[in-house]
Amino acid sequence: MTPTPSPIALSVKKLHKSFGNVEVLKGISLDAHEGDVVSILGSSGSGKSTFLRCINLLETPNSGEVTVAGETIRMVPDAKGASRPADRKQVDRIRSQLGMVFQSFNLWSHKTVLENVMEAPVHVQGRNRAECIEEAEALLAKVGIAEKRNFYPAHLSGGQQQRAAIARALAMRPKVMLFDEPTSALDPELVGEVLRVMRALAEEGRTMLVVTHEMGFARDVSSRVVFLHQGLVEEDGRPQDVFANSRSERFRQFISK
Amino acid sequence: MDWQFLSETFVSLISAIPLTLELAATSIALGAVLALAIALCRLSGNKGLEWFARAYVFVFRGTPLLVQIFLLYYGLSQFPAVRHSVFWPFLRDPYRCAVLALTMNTAAYASEIIRGGLLSVPFGQIEAARACGMPRLMQFRRVVLPLAIRQALPGYSNEMISMVKATSLASIITLMEVTGVAARIISESYRAIEVFIVAGAIYLAINFLLTRLVHLVEYWLSPHLRQPVPYHPADVSAPALEGDAR
Repeated sequence: MTPTPSPIALSVKKLHKSFGNVEVLKGISLDAHEGDVVSILGSSGSGKSTFLRCINLLETPNSGEVTVAGETIRMVPDAKGASRPADRKQVDRIRSQLGMVFQSFNLWSHKTVLENVMEAPVHVQGRNRAECIEEAEALLAKVGIAEKRNFYPAHLSGGQQQRAAIARALAMRPKVMLFDEPTSALDPELVGEVLRVMRALAEEGRTMLVVTHEMGFARDVSSRVVFLHQGLVEEDGRPQDVFANSRSERFRQFISK
Repeated sequence: MDWQFLSETFVSLISAIPLTLELAATSIALGAVLALAIALCRLSGNKGLEWFARAYVFVFRGTPLLVQIFLLYYGLSQFPAVRHSVFWPFLRDPYRCAVLALTMNTAAYASEIIRGGLLSVPFGQIEAARACGMPRLMQFRRVVLPLAIRQALPGYSNEMISMVKATSLASIITLMEVTGVAARIISESYRAIEVFIVAGAIYLAINFLLTRLVHLVEYWLSPHLRQPVPYHPADVSAPALEGDAR
């Protein structure tokens, strides 16, 4: 598509993750270049959310390597034979470069929308408060909820909460945005407003990994579609290719539903 | 009704209120710190600390405060080793003994209240803090504790009221707080009913103010649970983003 590929923003190598005896991820590798919008599809239980959560170590992978903007998260073996991060500070630093948007929003309920957005820039990144207020307000305007700045999350609709959560993630100026089924907890009529924001971010050239069930988004907005099946990458390609003629029987079945 | 006597009693008892308040405030404040530490031990996941916290709560919640005060003040002094130890200047002082007993007792109850508050914090909000790179202590300070306090406060107000009343037990180790002074007046006048009615009214007044204070704090801390003040029905004034993904 592009003559010279942009630099790699996020690289995942041979990620394995088990919960007890159940191996959820069986060695997943994925490189996302800057500006890529990768939709991660898969039926429930295919490991797509776990994969996303392993990238910022909300789940600790059993083995594998995650590299964000050139920096690889150092892991060491733990007492039980699995692995754990070698340096918590490194994990915190890398997490602050990954903007995470959750299925259930997870806004801090005791803080206003503006405080939610300012929290990480001011307290984690130690940036100037006044500058953060300005930036937070601009982000809230961008996601279309500027006038809700002093509202608490409980006073917003699901779609507004998710847009606030997107603004919160953007406020850290992340290298990569991670979306974990951002529209799955929303009423159908609220899904559109969140997808519109995500589409605008994609058009801005942001690097995004999106676990989703929204076929429309995967087909029209993403630059790449990855289909997970039973913990492995079953299909991987440009949406226009994979949606038209996929080599994978399972993926064809999945999208025909 | 002997109004003259009642008002004299009232004036005498008023002078004892500062000591009652001091006992209550000190032990509630110190007890809260100790309670948080015990609750954290209990939730630490470390078997030793967890066992310690369980044992502490079991002992101090399971025995009468009166017995604890007695044992601390009269009991320990029976041992020459204690009398010759560095703790003796502390333990020989009835005020400090009373504060210590009240603190340790309230910490046992309050640790369970705080533990409930900590457990009520939605895990998703902790994950959100983690996901934006907050170090553990900051997660605790900025997200977990503020949410836990809001949850624990109504239950904690019960414990604070109990503590105000429990200060009356300090009178048995010679402290002249409200009940101590009341007991002295009774022994001089043999008019128990009137004196205790006045003393009871004083405790009631203190607890009334305390309840109002806690309500006020609760109100300050919970704007997110009230209805928002302004309401804008149409809030799609400036759609900053174009395009439709569907």
